[in-house]
Amino acid sequence: MKKKSLLERNYNFQPRINFPDYKSSILRAPSKEKISFPSTLSEVSGPVFTTDILGKNDNDLTLNFSKNNNSPLGHKILVYGTLKDQFLNPIEGALIEIWQANASGKYLHPNDTTPTPIDPNFAGCGRYISASDGYYEFLTIQPGPYPYPNRGIEWRPMHIHFSIFGKSFGQRLITQMYFEGDPLIKLCPMVNSIPDEKAINSLIGLLDTSKSSSHNILAYKFDIILRGANQTYFENKKEGL
Amino acid sequence: MENINKVYKETPFQTAGPFLHIGCMPNSVGIEGIYNSDIGTNPFPNKQSEDLIKITGSIFDGKGEALDDVLLETWQSDENGKYSDVFGFARFVPDKITKKFSLFTLKPGPVKNFDGKLQSPHILLSISSRGLNMSLNTRIYFDDDNLKNDPLISFIIENHNDESSLVAKKIDKKNYLFNVFLQGDAETIFLNL
Ligand SMILES: [Fe+3]
Repeated sequence: MKKKSLLERNYNFQPRINFPDYKSSILRAPSKEKISFPSTLSEVSGPVFTTDILGKNDNDLTLNFSKNNNSPLGHKILVYGTLKDQFLNPIEGALIEIWQANASGKYLHPNDTTPTPIDPNFAGCGRYISASDGYYEFLTIQPGPYPYPNRGIEWRPMHIHFSIFGKSFGQRLITQMYFEGDPLIKLCPMVNSIPDEKAINSLIGLLDTSKSSSHNILAYKFDIILRGANQTYFENKKEGL
Repeated sequence: MENINKVYKETPFQTAGPFLHIGCMPNSVGIEGIYNSDIGTNPFPNKQSEDLIKITGSIFDGKGEALDDVLLETWQSDENGKYSDVFGFARFVPDKITKKFSLFTLKPGPVKNFDGKLQSPHILLSISSRGLNMSLNTRIYFDDDNLKNDPLISFIIENHNDESSLVAKKIDKKNYLFNVFLQGDAETIFLNL
């Protein structure tokens, strides 16, 4: 029987759960230490998503909510990259879901009270299932930065939220991509909840001028590494599986 | 089969923020017509509703307030303890008014672990929201099952922790109660997956 075990997480490379500079965490972050235990079949298995759930424009946010062929406001960007595990094996068939604000920094969400306009041609959601080489891409528009109440009013850097299902429930990742050169990145408490600067840099999408010129749009490259797993074979009793 | 390759660092988490429904359950916030339906609305569409149990509960913050802006995800086996590719995943949010979630699902069976030993029936629960820089993970067990021999429950008890926050309470034949406390004396046990 094959035994799979997820690699132990490196918490120095992860955000701190208790980070009072980010006010919303104060009443929500647990204080007790989490319990670690060896992976079981429950953590190393997970739902499998196939491309038949996808519609033709699911990864084109400039089209998937447009009315009468009107484009959303803002400039178009291509966000692309590859999804790999910690051994750099490409991950095929992972569900990648993204969401983001529109060009004026407003989410199409009933709870967003930012006093900026919604865009009738932009919903801000997209999804994709990674290709055999781990490749993914989204065509979208540049999200605006937006203010939110924290220590007074603070501004989120421009960002796109990512949710990713790899091959197992224990490999699940929810994160955000930032944009190279944005001066708001280093002021953001959510970003700074990550103590390691290299880890922060790994969340910044890099401007790719080679792709930008050929497509008439700005391109940003954002590679993602999901948690890896070791596989070992071991003896088990005759009655087996 | 040791893996001798270099191990690279996992991309770090960031909070899912308050608007995660746009990405994960757009139909639930009125963004309709892009995806046919939200993913995970029914973990076992192959089963009749009379075969399902209902687990209800709330997610409480440090002030004892029940939250409604969290995204909950569950993963579980079927009634025979088997995991499948297509069934067993659910996504849901607490009700805006009652602040309670309801999960209609199969009662999972005991899952055979790699070493052939049985784990007691359980459901993996992941919680993502504003204020959580990383998603939280825990497990839902059931108080009408024998939990004594479950490897995780025994490990928790051996380490002088109280396992009761992981155990759903039976209300009647079809209903269980499972509350999650993010902080305080009753803080739920969260797991490093
Ligand atoms: Fe955001």
